[in-house]
Amino acid sequence: MQKLQLSLAIIKPHAVKNPVALSYIRNVIKNSFIVVKTRRICLEKETAEDFYKEHIQKFFFNRLITFMTSGSIDLHIISHTNAVKLWRKMLGPTKVYKAQFEEPNCLRGMFGISDTRNVAHGSDSVTSAEREIKFFFPEFSFYDWHTHDEITYRKGPIIFNHHLFQHVRKL
Amino acid sequence: MNAIKLFVQRRYPSFLVYRTATTKKKIHDPREEEKLPIFQYPVSKSSDRRVYVWGLAETGALGIHMPRSKKTGKKSYRNNFTFVTYPKRSSFCERFDVTKIACGYGFTVAAVKTSEQHKVFGTGINTDSQIGYHAPRIGKPLEMLLSPAPIYIPYNSLETKITGLAAGRAHTLILTDNEGVYTLGNNAYGQCGRKINANEEYRGSMASHNIKRLGKEKIIDICCGQDHSLFITESGKVYSCGWGADGQTGLGTYENQGFPAAVKGDITSEKIVKVASTADCVLALNDKGELFGWGNSEYGQVPMATNQQQVNMSYALVKFTKGLGKIVDVAAGGSFCLICNEHGDAFVWGFGLLGLGPNVQHAKEPKQIPTPLFGRNEFNPEQMVTNVACGIGHLAAVTNNGDLYMWGRNRHGCLGLGHGKDQHFPLKISIGAHVLSVDCSVDHTIAMCQPFT
Repeated sequence: MQKLQLSLAIIKPHAVKNPVALSYIRNVIKNSFIVVKTRRICLEKETAEDFYKEHIQKFFFNRLITFMTSGSIDLHIISHTNAVKLWRKMLGPTKVYKAQFEEPNCLRGMFGISDTRNVAHGSDSVTSAEREIKFFFPEFSFYDWHTHDEITYRKGPIIFNHHLFQHVRKL
Repeated sequence: MNAIKLFVQRRYPSFLVYRTATTKKKIHDPREEEKLPIFQYPVSKSSDRRVYVWGLAETGALGIHMPRSKKTGKKSYRNNFTFVTYPKRSSFCERFDVTKIACGYGFTVAAVKTSEQHKVFGTGINTDSQIGYHAPRIGKPLEMLLSPAPIYIPYNSLETKITGLAAGRAHTLILTDNEGVYTLGNNAYGQCGRKINANEEYRGSMASHNIKRLGKEKIIDICCGQDHSLFITESGKVYSCGWGADGQTGLGTYENQGFPAAVKGDITSEKIVKVASTADCVLALNDKGELFGWGNSEYGQVPMATNQQQVNMSYALVKFTKGLGKIVDVAAGGSFCLICNEHGDAFVWGFGLLGLGPNVQHAKEPKQIPTPLFGRNEFNPEQMVTNVACGIGHLAAVTNNGDLYMWGRNRHGCLGLGHGKDQHFPLKISIGAHVLSVDCSVDHTIAMCQPFT
């Protein structure tokens, strides 16, 4: 059986503030992935700049930082055998104005407002997923994940805890 | 017991009860006929308004009751939305004399003609208190209102009239005739025109801010982008505040602006009569019918010689719109712009479903949408586009005969065509009234109409 892959999903402020969009996105996440950890935080400017340091040269850097620090964001560690690719496929193309015509039923096509307000972030590769998870969840142990947590989540039994919005081991 | 009762009732025989029946024919009196009231259908006054709404009803932004399926389980997330894909008459606007209406992202505000405290009503998403504080249970403010509720604003006088409304992604501006502008909602970028407080909690906030005057002048018009606000003063100056990361505040910087400041660049010496903005691109129109623009230009909405993607100062587009005649109305969408001139022709440029054909395309120059699509033909040569509006991905035009045409991306049924497919060219929306103006937002649309008779 294939091993589970981890990815980080960040729901951006405008989607967190829209109960209809958030409910739809949470439904999608809950039904297609195993949610390992969930947290709602408010980004500080320095943290956001550090997180998006790969975009520091781009013209939209300031726009992205001011947007991400404008409200609370939802962080989800999601897992699936093909988590990185699947989550990015569900999100659709990065640019909302193009996504809404190319893939009208992807999350960005449905709830995105502009190229920056594009609903959610998804890690683009396994290594960057690891970096991003370590960035936001310093206490998350990859050693524990690879040695025993992964097999628990893969083989179960697990149930979904609505209060925590994450899957937990069924006792 | 019942049987005994029956027996008691039947003791009186039925033949004792009789009534006098007459067969005398009534003589017709012609004078009586004149006295009879004449019944006729009510004729509406010219001040009567009808409001039609359509789009995503799930957020409550339409303010109409839509039956929804029952939730199952303790907490289930919704994935089947309720849409209204055709124009539906708003019952709220039948009960109140609605004068102004504005659509934001998932919410709607409407101003009512009254001299009482509750002049503005709101419905829809309220996570940033953009439609006021509503808490039926103390300490548990509502995040979504499914039907209109009055917004409390501390007016100085109850005689104050609401002369304008504007709504953005999560903030509302209310323009009054002599008390300036009241702002409500999210201020994370300073779009409410007050100091930005980091970590301010907007949910369940009762704060409203009053901007009395700008530059010692009265404010006469307001406009909201998604996260910025624009104000026009009596002398035609434009002030702006809010998110400036794309230059949409036009202040020469890319910083957030907490208090409204005068827009820099080419418009400083002009008398501006209208500004339009839906997302992050702004168009302004002066009294001579010339066009100015600033803000996001990633798709060429504000074409610059240097191919700049973010324009942070107002820039005259006179050369760009040369030969189009005097422009009378402007609208800026997410990635495109729509204008109409005094001859009633509509021009469009930018990226998206522009109404020029079945393909999503990028027009660098203003392109005219063929006039027959707006109903101008040999039988109807006077048909002119007088009013235009843009949502994030959809466009709308109102003609002088009160017809509404819409096209573009049909997100959650916001085009009102009765289906959910995108529309490639302008198509008339079936509304049983004379459309006066239309207001588009991200996923719903509202048309203010006048009854035919």
